[in-house]
Amino acid sequence: MKGIGNLWNKLASPKRIPKLFSVALGLLLVIGFLIPMDLNVNQLYPRPIPQQQVEEGLAVAPYDRGGEVLKVPGITKAQYPENSKSIGWINSYMSPQALFVKSISPYFGTSIYSSPGGLIDEILYYTRGFDTILESSILMMSFTIASWLALNFTINRRKENFK
Amino acid sequence: MDLASLGGNLLGTIPLGDIVLYLTPFHLFMFVVVLIFTVLIAMSRTETQVEASFKTLNDNKVSVGLEEFKIRRFLAIVCGLATAGAMITGDLFNFTLFATLIGIVNLGIVSAVKQIDVLDAAYNYGLIAMICSLPLFGGAAIILASTGTLSLFEIAKIATTAPMMTFGALLLLIGIAGETGTAPFFATKAEMFRTPGSPFILIIHLSSLMVIIRAIEIILIIIKVI
Repeated sequence: MKGIGNLWNKLASPKRIPKLFSVALGLLLVIGFLIPMDLNVNQLYPRPIPQQQVEEGLAVAPYDRGGEVLKVPGITKAQYPENSKSIGWINSYMSPQALFVKSISPYFGTSIYSSPGGLIDEILYYTRGFDTILESSILMMSFTIASWLALNFTINRRKENFK
Repeated sequence: MDLASLGGNLLGTIPLGDIVLYLTPFHLFMFVVVLIFTVLIAMSRTETQVEASFKTLNDNKVSVGLEEFKIRRFLAIVCGLATAGAMITGDLFNFTLFATLIGIVNLGIVSAVKQIDVLDAAYNYGLIAMICSLPLFGGAAIILASTGTLSLFEIAKIATTAPMMTFGALLLLIGIAGETGTAPFFATKAEMFRTPGSPFILIIHLSSLMVIIRAIEIILIIIKVI
């Protein structure tokens, strides 16, 4: 019984907890190597096979999501299409500058500035917009805490009552 | 298990695009309880701890200043709302985001305390909360890879549990266990309570309790053991 008591006492020290937790997590991740890999091909947010669009010679090669600007919506799947009536419109949109560069260069899709938002924007701002709100509120909270601490513990020190 | 045997009959859904919040008696009850507690905490004032001084007869009162009170109340309300959101969300990724929001706000509630032990515990909790983002989001990603969906409705319809789904659920469980500070990892959170400002400290505890209940329900939806 003494051993258990010692164990409880060791567990009660906050310093040991991150180490204990990371060891537990590490063990679980090592066990994860033994799990047979399993990928459901019928994904909700599909991507084309690598190099497929390049070989087809599309102008915005790896990022072509179909559709025509402001005429035909692009290809986006939604879990609940009845909740997203105007799906695909963001996906197919390109700015006039992007259209111009696309018309003169076959490598437009390979540069980062060219990616017309497309699928990511469609998911972030339309089908899964609530996630984006939450993600930015996590960031906002961390900035609130950090800035409050900075204001009160580093800048306004004169107000503090030093003993 | 199916949704009805876990939470009761489906009363309705709140569709937000692909993210569908769902209401069953179980979730609605927990949602309302969390909201009531949040309102109570938002209205209440902080306690003042009285410490006996050594070698004198004077008492040392440890109270919370106005600035600290305001930021703590704000963060406690955010924590309450995040917990309430985690209760009724019907989307796996959404749930992990709510859990992360609760984690960071918990850290913020005690971050302004001028007690070394509490800050030390909060620092260690912060480390765990950072580590937890790997199993939380990784678990959700693995479940998305093996099922092709994040909606709990769709996951509940899948008849069999693939080994990857079980592994993802275990990752999710260890992430939640670290974030809420359950059994072997309790010390950091327990030490964080030893500070004045009781009602705001309570929401740390309440959010852990509620989130772990909801997490178990979600894991039972993913792993069809019973």
